[in-house]
Amino acid sequence: MAIYSVGRRRVILALILTSALLLTLDLRGNPAVDRARDVMAVVIDPIDSAVGVVASPVERAWNGIVNYNDLEQENEALQEEVDRLIGTQVSGEAAVLQAQEILALNNLPALAGIPTELAQVVGGAANNIDQIIEINKGRRSGIEVGMPVVNQAGLIGKVTSVTETSARVMLVTDPRYAVGVTVTAGPDQAATGDETVTTSPSGLTPEQISDATSTTTTSTTVPVGDPSAPTATVAAGSELPTGPPTPDTTLPGATTESVPSFIDPVTGEPIPAEVLTALAAQAEADAAAAAAAAAEAAAAEAAAGVTTTTTEPVVVRKEYGSLEGRGARLLPQIRFVQDNPSLAELQVGDLVETAGGSESLAPPGIPVGRVANRADRPGSGGPLLDVELNADLTRLNFVRVVIYKPLSEVEQP
Amino acid sequence: MLAALVQGPLLRIIPVGLILLAVQRTVFVDYKVAGVVIEIMMIASAAAGVAGGSERGALFGFVLGIMFDLAEGTPLGSTAIAMTVAGAVAGLLALIAADPQWWLGALFVALGTVAGVMTVPLVRVFIGEAHPFTTDLYVIVPVMAAAGALLSPIMIPLARWCLRVKTPEWKQPIAETPL
Repeated sequence: MAIYSVGRRRVILALILTSALLLTLDLRGNPAVDRARDVMAVVIDPIDSAVGVVASPVERAWNGIVNYNDLEQENEALQEEVDRLIGTQVSGEAAVLQAQEILALNNLPALAGIPTELAQVVGGAANNIDQIIEINKGRRSGIEVGMPVVNQAGLIGKVTSVTETSARVMLVTDPRYAVGVTVTAGPDQAATGDETVTTSPSGLTPEQISDATSTTTTSTTVPVGDPSAPTATVAAGSELPTGPPTPDTTLPGATTESVPSFIDPVTGEPIPAEVLTALAAQAEADAAAAAAAAAEAAAAEAAAGVTTTTTEPVVVRKEYGSLEGRGARLLPQIRFVQDNPSLAELQVGDLVETAGGSESLAPPGIPVGRVANRADRPGSGGPLLDVELNADLTRLNFVRVVIYKPLSEVEQP
Repeated sequence: MLAALVQGPLLRIIPVGLILLAVQRTVFVDYKVAGVVIEIMMIASAAAGVAGGSERGALFGFVLGIMFDLAEGTPLGSTAIAMTVAGAVAGLLALIAADPQWWLGALFVALGTVAGVMTVPLVRVFIGEAHPFTTDLYVIVPVMAAAGALLSPIMIPLARWCLRVKTPEWKQPIAETPL
């Protein structure tokens, strides 16, 4: 029988005080502790592998019993998704290429020119407090503490510790994580209006002209005969090339030559540059054909008396703020934003991207997610915005570490 | 000193702790229960308290906690304090019964585990972390308690072997029924 005594109490107290002492040493930064961590990483790695080898048959058997139906359904859904993506891939790639050219021409900040390092996720946090993953690339691959980590969908987190061959990545959902972000109007609010407006100065009813117009993203009414208005006209009976759905533009790794950004969904291999160039040429040819069609349509405009005016979507940057994680079960939240209705109102569906800046650990333009909820606070606190992340943090396999240093840390020659 | 080390519990605690750590990092990270990672090392610490008393339980928890902190990159000592508390609390609770039945042992392990789990965010508060007490704790605590109770039949004998504690030969006398 265990007997309680003063001696036992002293031992427990000594152990707790020792822990507190080690905690203090570690928090103040101690090279001996860092070396001990490196040694521990070397020791635990083969044991991890051995346990993985022993446990994998059991895990597979368990997965076969428990997850078979789910996997079958997921496989079917993914196959449909792959089919859909193949259809949209060509136009998407061409659009991204054009966007890259425009960004390069305008010297806009983006991931262009920033190298990335592909890494595989090999582990997760072994406790319930931290939101951390472990990747199989480390100091030898040029990875340093603070570098942002992304996948094809968007921002995932940042590197918090590095060993020679591995690194730990704090996820966006970790309560300690914070990054500067910018809130941008979603595509459905990006232009002047949400509805297509069609004018018919010839007096035709909307039903009569319904076949003569096609839906565009947004339209504004322009009086016929106004020479100052840049209009694109569509003749009766003609149709604008609708094309495939809008491509997914959340491709953070797709803006640099050093990154094999375009992955063939069938083979999983990067698409060669020659193919992409051919696609871009095809996109230009399509654009020329569309312009010719528009010119032809202009000739028939008078006869039809129908004018459909389109405006290019305008990117509306609404506000800058700080995105903070709140744990695995809660959506990350943007704080420190001020709603300014005279400029633009923050609302559900707005896009969230990293803001960048001279001291930011993440370059600008990495997609993060969309505003999912808005909560107004009394006083001058401004609204709180919940952000639905683009990246699915529960299913991470391959990620890219953006080899980026903030401008303030780059050594000047 | 060498003899003390060989005859002491550390020689068994460290390899067993490494295996438990590897199991937690590879198996239990993938198989979460209601989104909660089963912290098998915390449960083992509480089981050590039940098996060997508060002092040995605290020592067991301290060693496992240091190993966890070194491997996981958490502030060194933060998890060690929590696991020390788990072992000590479970050991103190075990004083209630001289020869606890299996279900009582499971209960003590569960309570010790809860004490350890609650200590983790408490320590994080002291080291200046902003929001360690999240709503997740409402799920984490009951799941960990249940896991501790369920795993106690395995963990208590394992801890007893690590701590070189022999199964008590003395048994609580069964109350005689009056004639």
